[in-house]
Amino acid sequence: MTILIVILAIFLVCALGVPIAVSIAVVALAGMLLESGDLALYNAALAIYSGAVSFPLIAIPLFILAGALMNTSGISRRIIGFTSALVGFVRGGLAMVNVVASMFFAEISGSAVADSAALGSILIPEMKRRGYKAAFAAAVTSSSASLAIIIPPSLTMILYGAVAETSIVRLFVAGVVPGLLGGFMMMGVCYWAAVRYDLPRDGAFSLRRLWLAFREAFWALTLPLIILGGIFGGFVTATEGAALAVLAALVIGFGVYRELDLRLLVDSLREGIMQTAVVMMLVAASAVLGLYLTQAKIPQQMTEQILALTDNRFVVLALLNVLLLLIGMFLHGAAAIILVVPIVLPLVREMGIDPIQFGIMLTLNLAIGQQTPPVASVLATTCSIAKTDMMTVTRANLPFIAVLLVVLILVTYVPAVPLSLVHLVYGG
Amino acid sequence: MPSPTAGRPAADLRLRAVRLLELALFAFCVVLMVALFLVIIVAVFSRAFGNSLPWYDEVASVGLAWLTFYGSALAALKSAHLNFDALLRPLPPGARRAVFLLSKAITVAFFAAMAWAGTYLLRVFGSETLTSLDWVPLALTQSALPVGAALFILAELLTLPESLANVGRHHPEHAEPLS
Repeated sequence: MTILIVILAIFLVCALGVPIAVSIAVVALAGMLLESGDLALYNAALAIYSGAVSFPLIAIPLFILAGALMNTSGISRRIIGFTSALVGFVRGGLAMVNVVASMFFAEISGSAVADSAALGSILIPEMKRRGYKAAFAAAVTSSSASLAIIIPPSLTMILYGAVAETSIVRLFVAGVVPGLLGGFMMMGVCYWAAVRYDLPRDGAFSLRRLWLAFREAFWALTLPLIILGGIFGGFVTATEGAALAVLAALVIGFGVYRELDLRLLVDSLREGIMQTAVVMMLVAASAVLGLYLTQAKIPQQMTEQILALTDNRFVVLALLNVLLLLIGMFLHGAAAIILVVPIVLPLVREMGIDPIQFGIMLTLNLAIGQQTPPVASVLATTCSIAKTDMMTVTRANLPFIAVLLVVLILVTYVPAVPLSLVHLVYGG
Repeated sequence: MPSPTAGRPAADLRLRAVRLLELALFAFCVVLMVALFLVIIVAVFSRAFGNSLPWYDEVASVGLAWLTFYGSALAALKSAHLNFDALLRPLPPGARRAVFLLSKAITVAFFAAMAWAGTYLLRVFGSETLTSLDWVPLALTQSALPVGAALFILAELLTLPESLANVGRHHPEHAEPLS
């Protein structure tokens, strides 16, 4: 199969140490040169440029910038304070606080690495001090941080929506139920662990404490309303919502909490620029691959070959999940999306699977990929904060990974789980 | 503290060039990023007051492409592009250097091809302009590809000695994008 040769060639070039983006574009360009000669060079140059020209993808630098600003402007500390007053009284209080704070943060930020760093740097040392095992603290922080890409806004969904030419806002809506489901099940796992290991509570519940914490966190808690309210209310697009998030972060950071300064602003800009450049170079390179695959009709061939083997929906969905899980273990989220989506999307459409549902499947697989070595970006972040090794944390992380797997199976085989809310909001 | 390259004027000059290029690229990318943010905010508020800007999404999209190509040159300077060079670690030093130089040659050749084809395309566009702003020539907007590609090559060549010394090591600068 041609597709296997293409993928093998990309991995071989990568193995030499060539950047992934360049490897993808070089292999696609070589394929095009073989197919159509000299003209391929100009077509590739046109494709790589227009691959980077995108309105929806402007949301990526803006959400990264907003996340970086919020992490340095005192917002995470206040959200933790509020959730601690809300659920800290339960057994295993700090673990609960960790999950609930992640669920709040997920509505502000679209990146799990950013969340795990922001929340973990405060919560993991505190959990260790209160007698939690370092591995458990790292595991709960890591897994719950992955809710950030499932609960909107989500950088993963923005990239998938742009590559698959699917509505980003509908993807956001479809992520709400699976994200909340995952969050509540993780709280269940925490409670089970708290009973089993006799974990402490984090203070007693009092309405006064809750009110004080709420007042302190009020402006931070308005952020989800501004960002998601604007997008879901149909007032702004996802890109515009991202710009509003930056504006809100600037106003809160400089005006309200006054913890932001010029140096932190420059650091945030640097982070936004670098991450955007790396991701967008992958996107631009994937446009060359997309052009080559379309010209050579490779995804169509692969679709026909797979459908000749089986057209059983159950089996095809299972195959897609296995492929995505494997890819998620070995590749970073952005690289996985731009490599896999153009190849499998024709198959997804041919099978009559809703591209929105597939987008949520993909997101969950990548969330699991963030937790499973060897390439586990979020897990690596929390391990380094907790100063413990990946294998020990992975053992403690298994129940949380199981939660993500259960949500993945639900999303895969019960389309109503992701899609009911979409139909409720948009009809159909 | 004396410079590590003191007494080696060529190396000293190269490091000065690296710092200058980094500063210039970063400053330009900051301008692009701030402009993207401002254009979108202005468009949202101006639409809220009943006056939509017909050019804004086309211009903003081009802004993202410029951020992509100029930012990529900056990321090349900081070796921040995602790669798997950790796989080279087990190789003996000689082989490692050879494979590394081959990978750099592939990267530079690719961007040289893009710079050449991109420059050729600028002539093809002639007097065509953006759809929404007929005074902005496509040759200007599309110039980001050949210029960015040339800067990428420059960044790769200027940092070659450091990259060669660090091959296979962990990059603290490696971003973990979109995770």
